[in-house]
Amino acid sequence: MTALAAVDAGLGPAAALPRDNGELVFEEPWQGRALGMGVVALQRSDSTWEDFRVHLVRAIAARPQRPGETAATAYYAAWLDALEALLRERGLLSSSGAR
Amino acid sequence: MSAGHHHERAASAAELRAHALEAVLAERGLVSTDAIDAVVAYYEQDVGPQNGARAVARAWVDDGYRERLLAHPNEALDELGFGGMEGHNMAVVANSETVHNVIVCTLCSCYPWPVLGLPPSWYKSEAYRARVVAEPRAVLREFGLALADDVEVRVWDSSAEMRYLVLPLRPAGSEGLGEEELAARVTRDCMIGTALP
Repeated sequence: MTALAAVDAGLGPAAALPRDNGELVFEEPWQGRALGMGVVALQRSDSTWEDFRVHLVRAIAARPQRPGETAATAYYAAWLDALEALLRERGLLSSSGAR
Repeated sequence: MSAGHHHERAASAAELRAHALEAVLAERGLVSTDAIDAVVAYYEQDVGPQNGARAVARAWVDDGYRERLLAHPNEALDELGFGGMEGHNMAVVANSETVHNVIVCTLCSCYPWPVLGLPPSWYKSEAYRARVVAEPRAVLREFGLALADDVEVRVWDSSAEMRYLVLPLRPAGSEGLGEEELAARVTRDCMIGTALP
């Protein structure tokens, strides 16, 4: 299992997982599942957290937090964008994606 | 964590998208529901305690490390690669034959997560937070931990600035065990103070 410290190191400060008081923040179960999906899909596709970070930083910039939305919701929405982009780049998702 | 604050509302667009992506990835054989469940459970429950357990086991076999862990916890944990304290001060409180320590955060859920992972749900419950201060012996008994009357119970209230970790006593009869075997005996609850190794 990927240690959380390794995930933190791979993501770096620019794309760090949302935390409150040091704890990971999952406001709703889908956010935890998004993280879990990332961990599993990266392993299965032989991708590194550094590979993912490139996409995540880009996705965060492209999808800033919206009014009425929490920081964690915005982050994990960008996370889904990044995961989709990475897997598409690897030819593992058709270009139509999962909308 | 604030799960439960958003019960009575329709699924958000992002939530629907997460489900849709999971379905597509599952169809492609890239993820399985079970694998994701395991990861989520790992991050919610299992990550972390083994870091604290390694530090405890090291302290049991290495007196010099024990001294450093008690005197300069942040530096001693860094030595083992458990950084990420984000500037929070760690304090390690050692159990002895006459003192038993237990940690709580009476205000919220401050917790030494880099060494213990995510806190168990009961740690965040109002019942534990209030009662462990008022009647620690009764609470510990409910955890199955009956302490002799002559053992003093010290309750440490964590805060954003100070996080505590309990260094339990090395169990009797563990002389022949190696550091890894010792670490396996140290559970999360031992380092909160609600169990003994």
